Amino acid sequence: MRVLVWSALIVGLVPLQSVLLPHASVWGVTPDIGLIAVCLAGLFGGEIHGLLVGLVLGWAMSLFSAADPVTCVTTKGAVGFVAGLAGRHVVYLSPPILALGIFVTSCSAGLLTASLLKLNDQQGLWWAIRTVVLPQAAMDTVVGSAFYWLASSRFNLERWMAEYRM
Amino acid sequence: MRMVNFRVPYNSGRLIFVLVVILLLGLLLLPGQFQGVFKQIGGPVGWVLSWPLRAVASLSDGVANLWGGYVALQGVVAENRELRKELDSLKGQNSQLREAAAATERLAALLEFKHHAGFSTVAAQVIGRDTGNWYRTIILDKGESAGLRPDMGVITPAGVVGRIVKTTAATSVVLLATDPNNAIASLVQRTRDEGIVEGTTQGLVRLKYIPMLSDARPGDRVVTSGLVGGFPRGLAIGTIARIDKEEGVLFQSAELIPEVDVDLVEEVLVIESPNVQTEGERLDAPSVKRKP
Repeated sequence: MRVLVWSALIVGLVPLQSVLLPHASVWGVTPDIGLIAVCLAGLFGGEIHGLLVGLVLGWAMSLFSAADPVTCVTTKGAVGFVAGLAGRHVVYLSPPILALGIFVTSCSAGLLTASLLKLNDQQGLWWAIRTVVLPQAAMDTVVGSAFYWLASSRFNLERWMAEYRM
Repeated sequence: MRMVNFRVPYNSGRLIFVLVVILLLGLLLLPGQFQGVFKQIGGPVGWVLSWPLRAVASLSDGVANLWGGYVALQGVVAENRELRKELDSLKGQNSQLREAAAATERLAALLEFKHHAGFSTVAAQVIGRDTGNWYRTIILDKGESAGLRPDMGVITPAGVVGRIVKTTAATSVVLLATDPNNAIASLVQRTRDEGIVEGTTQGLVRLKYIPMLSDARPGDRVVTSGLVGGFPRGLAIGTIARIDKEEGVLFQSAELIPEVDVDLVEEVLVIESPNVQTEGERLDAPSVKRKP
């Protein structure tokens, strides 16, 4: 059942990212819904879940991108694993801490991707930070925090996480 | 409220972790073999994923049509009046053009223009964009099952769009000509100077390696040279907007205005076989007799 839920999430996220989000891009940059989903999966499900969801989602999204599959798989997998570790060790997850966590994770993933991809001479590290990494991290933070705020107002997420940590 | 328990038993968790570590080590140590395996699996998975992708794309199109057809109708009366005037003017032009077309047809028959640069194409629809922010790509609704392969050129009737870089069974990823990682062999149509067209980070295209003594100037059209696979000769890429000459360098470069607005493209043609003709074939020159 759990596998079906995660599979449905992955199958739903790919068209969302590829078809709908480009309509909502700001200066050509869209939030990485996959990264936010992997972050939250790691945070609530633990490092193994985060890692697995990250690996599968990274690979599925790489099928519809020009990016190298190994880079996508490695980055998303690492994000899920780190988010899982963080989720296990954070005692109380307040919205500002979550927003800061998503921002730092997105920046780290962006820098890792920039260093792993064979970018063109025109696309230096400063270009990557200025035009992709920081805008995307800001958008990821806004979307991830909004989703968390909506979910926490509807469900008892703290109790859910507390049960997981027991 | 029913709570979901996401805990994994200790042993199975450790087993999964060990398997994932082995997978990652394999990816790092044997990238070629592992990527081959992933590519094999990727075909059917891509086919499965293409269905929700198409469903969402068609839903998105439906909403856009609804918006365009019923909601965004402000100023349509004034626009209608202007269009009627324009239609009357175009009717007049149309009859003149019919005469010109008939004359052209006769002249064409007289001059026996036998050879045209023909190449087979496959029509495809754009259903999405890149899932990341690092590359400028579009996703097509046709893939390996329709005969599409990486490195095939993608065009519209207006000109060059890009090149296929990745395919699954039912979809293809096209790296746009405006992406800095794309390079297309090209030439200036008037001066015949050859160069390489690359995308820029600003979403434009740039012609590089123009000889220093070239007479190329703003307004000149740049077309594909057909020297490297993917595109036949003569497809429009863009028009030169500015020439950059720097001191101490061996070549000039030029900034181009792309012929195709890649942000608005919806249907494209994929070139299956460029069928590139040599200069001799194009000019119908007699073939050289080879010694036995």
